[in-house]
Amino acid sequence: MLREMAVMAIRTSKLSKDYRLGRGLFDLDLVVSPQEVFGYLGPNGSGKTTTIRCLMSMIRPTSGSAHVFGLDCRRDSVAVKRKVGYLPGDVPQFGSLRGREVIAYLGGMRGGADPKVVRNLAERFDLDLSRRFREYSSGNKQKLAIVLAFMHQPDLLILDEPTSGLDPLNQQEFYSLLREAREDGATVFLSSHILSEVEHVCDRVGILRAGRLVKVAHLEELRHIRVHRVELEFAPGSIVPEAQIRSATGVEDATIADHIVRCTVRGGFEPLLEAIRNASVTSLVSAEPSLEEIFLSYYSETGNAGALPE
Amino acid sequence: MSATWFALRLGRWGIAGFAALAFVSTLIQALGFYQVAGHTAAERAAFGQSMSVLASRFTVILPPPIRPDTVGGYVEYRSYGGLALLFAVWALASASGAARGDEERGLVEAALATGLTRLSLTASRVLAFAAGSLVAALAAGLGLILGATNGGESISVGSAVEAGFVLAALALSCYSLTLVISQLTSARIATAAAGVVLLSLFLVNTLSRTFTSLISVRWLSPFRYYELSQPLPPGGYFDGRATLTLVAIALVAGAAAAVAFAFRDLGSPLFRWPARARSASYDGLTSPAWRIAVLRGVWDRRLGLVVWAAGLAGLGAIFVAMTRSIIEPLLSIQALAPYFGGFVHGQVYTTFLGFFWFSVAQLLFAAFAITQVARWSAEDADGRLELILSNPRSRAAVVIERAIVLAFGAALIAAAGGVAVAVASHYQGMNVPNERLAGATLLLVPFALVFAATGSLLAAWNPRATIGLLGGFAFCSYLITEVGPFFKWPEWVQDFSAFKLFGTPLADGIDRGGLLIMVAIIVVGFAASILVMERRDVGA
Repeated sequence: MLREMAVMAIRTSKLSKDYRLGRGLFDLDLVVSPQEVFGYLGPNGSGKTTTIRCLMSMIRPTSGSAHVFGLDCRRDSVAVKRKVGYLPGDVPQFGSLRGREVIAYLGGMRGGADPKVVRNLAERFDLDLSRRFREYSSGNKQKLAIVLAFMHQPDLLILDEPTSGLDPLNQQEFYSLLREAREDGATVFLSSHILSEVEHVCDRVGILRAGRLVKVAHLEELRHIRVHRVELEFAPGSIVPEAQIRSATGVEDATIADHIVRCTVRGGFEPLLEAIRNASVTSLVSAEPSLEEIFLSYYSETGNAGALPE
Repeated sequence: MSATWFALRLGRWGIAGFAALAFVSTLIQALGFYQVAGHTAAERAAFGQSMSVLASRFTVILPPPIRPDTVGGYVEYRSYGGLALLFAVWALASASGAARGDEERGLVEAALATGLTRLSLTASRVLAFAAGSLVAALAAGLGLILGATNGGESISVGSAVEAGFVLAALALSCYSLTLVISQLTSARIATAAAGVVLLSLFLVNTLSRTFTSLISVRWLSPFRYYELSQPLPPGGYFDGRATLTLVAIALVAGAAAAVAFAFRDLGSPLFRWPARARSASYDGLTSPAWRIAVLRGVWDRRLGLVVWAAGLAGLGAIFVAMTRSIIEPLLSIQALAPYFGGFVHGQVYTTFLGFFWFSVAQLLFAAFAITQVARWSAEDADGRLELILSNPRSRAAVVIERAIVLAFGAALIAAAGGVAVAVASHYQGMNVPNERLAGATLLLVPFALVFAATGSLLAAWNPRATIGLLGGFAFCSYLITEVGPFFKWPEWVQDFSAFKLFGTPLADGIDRGGLLIMVAIIVVGFAASILVMERRDVGA
């Protein structure tokens, strides 16, 4: 048991933090392997940040335990943090300090950061380190937080909604950085409330709802609960392939009014695209529902109050 | 109107705190008056005479009292003089917070996005502070009335209201002046710049009583107009024109602030130096200073420490000069020679300098410690502590490093003040023993650490309430030295006051018992704060 714990990047056992009134985190049993990129998904207030703060020993669990690389997060918190790069959910305020001073101040607490690594990260995100923190836009503040988490090349990255405030280009750059970190041997624990985000980078995903872990799945399994709301508009006077659309795999709840088709697509788009291959489509809009909507949709269909399908 | 209510809500703790402080201050001084002033007319007259003599030594800070043999005159002198300073500090903190602090927190942007004009926003803030300061100032009058009633006398409600109105008008003028200065500077230095201006205006007025060359410019100071009214003692007066001048200053400065606010960008001062064209820099700092524990904390605070050190050195030199100019005329009075000889055992300058300078230095060191504790609680509230603790450092190490950084900073400031006093007294020909001066100056470090240890414990327990509670602790600590002897409180109760524990080291040497108690408070306070810090949730 102890040997197994030593090799796991993260292991929690019945980890709970009870804030009363049903809020908090309850009986979390979670294992993250080394060099794995683990996505931690859940709607706002589901307990993602509470889990992360327990791992970082910022808050004391009500019960249960958490280990990082075999080290007890509470008892060995200093040793744990030596191995961790942390990006908090809210970037703290550093007032009039310059970006490079923030890095020097926090990096100094680890004995200094490698100047080459810092420069490389700042260049990748085009982050001017000579500017004062209060002059930074929210995106630049987030970039600084990313530099702080990655600059000492940690074994484990714990990132709380890391792409919040980043524009799409910088999001892509961040995903590349994650892949490189993983190739270099790092483990990543990343929280998000956006399903598509974790698809970019994660090997496995854990889904949290109301403080309870309801699903842990590989990315492929995730596609089964992945749904899109689709609206197709056909050219006036053209034929709408209604039967093909309704019979396409994964297409549900199709409604047809005039030349507009609205439906839900579960899983991949290929069957639907095949169904409309010969039709004259003038517009196709696909929207991703929120995680909460997915949960509600799932629960209303199955009446399952406990967990998502394995 | 909703903007004014919102502004009142934002400042509700300040209003409640200062109202309570003003009420307690006047109530205790009024109750204390009946303990010390005697009961017969002759006793009261003798008390009034001795108060006038005592007050003549402090004209550099407070105006001479009128009829200190009456409860109105005594409380006017003992409470309202100090409250003027406290209300000015409150106005400074509130106005710089409203002008630039709320801007940094995004509150100003949110308010303007609702369609509120900048003029309306400024007016709502001024109006809310006017209402809040008036409530707090009237609470002072209530404390006096209750204290006097308890002593079997009565105070005119009209006089109490007039005194409250003058105090509120002074606070409002300081608020508006801070508001306008905050528009002209960057957010980073707004409070400091306004603080320097208000302190200068205060000193121009108070020093003009000692240095006559300043009389010609004291009309610039709102504190001058405040002092022109003393409505509480019998025969006192309410100067309506001076009070209206204070209100006019508030209105004109408030209008100027609104105009300046209308012409500047959010987040920027009204006037900015043209930005130099430069390319982005991606290089971090390589200075080893940031890697060494304690040194990085001192380095991070370097600008503030330099300002504190320079300010204390300058004030020290001024106090030496003032001591000489006050004492010399007194020494020339033959009748007072035996009194001085018996009272100060030949060390006239040392005794008086110790009394003048170290009284002020204690207050400044308490303020320094409180500002550092405010920083600790802000680190917690802003999320910086969470990021600091995400590094491989224990919570105990964080507390210990904070304590050492504060001790180092206090020692640096004390040294600057001590050297300035030593050099100035040497050039003034005042024979102050250097060894005593060094000991007394160094004693300011554990004195500051007493407040820091208390603040550290409070910050570990409840960071949001820390500054209010620590301010209350400092006030109570000061109050014990003020009223403890009057009410004949037991010695052990008076030993709760850091001011009492400090003693009079320049005149009488360091009180070893007091020093030991201070060290015990420091050790227990920081040890307890480590234990509390280890057990609490951060960032939750």
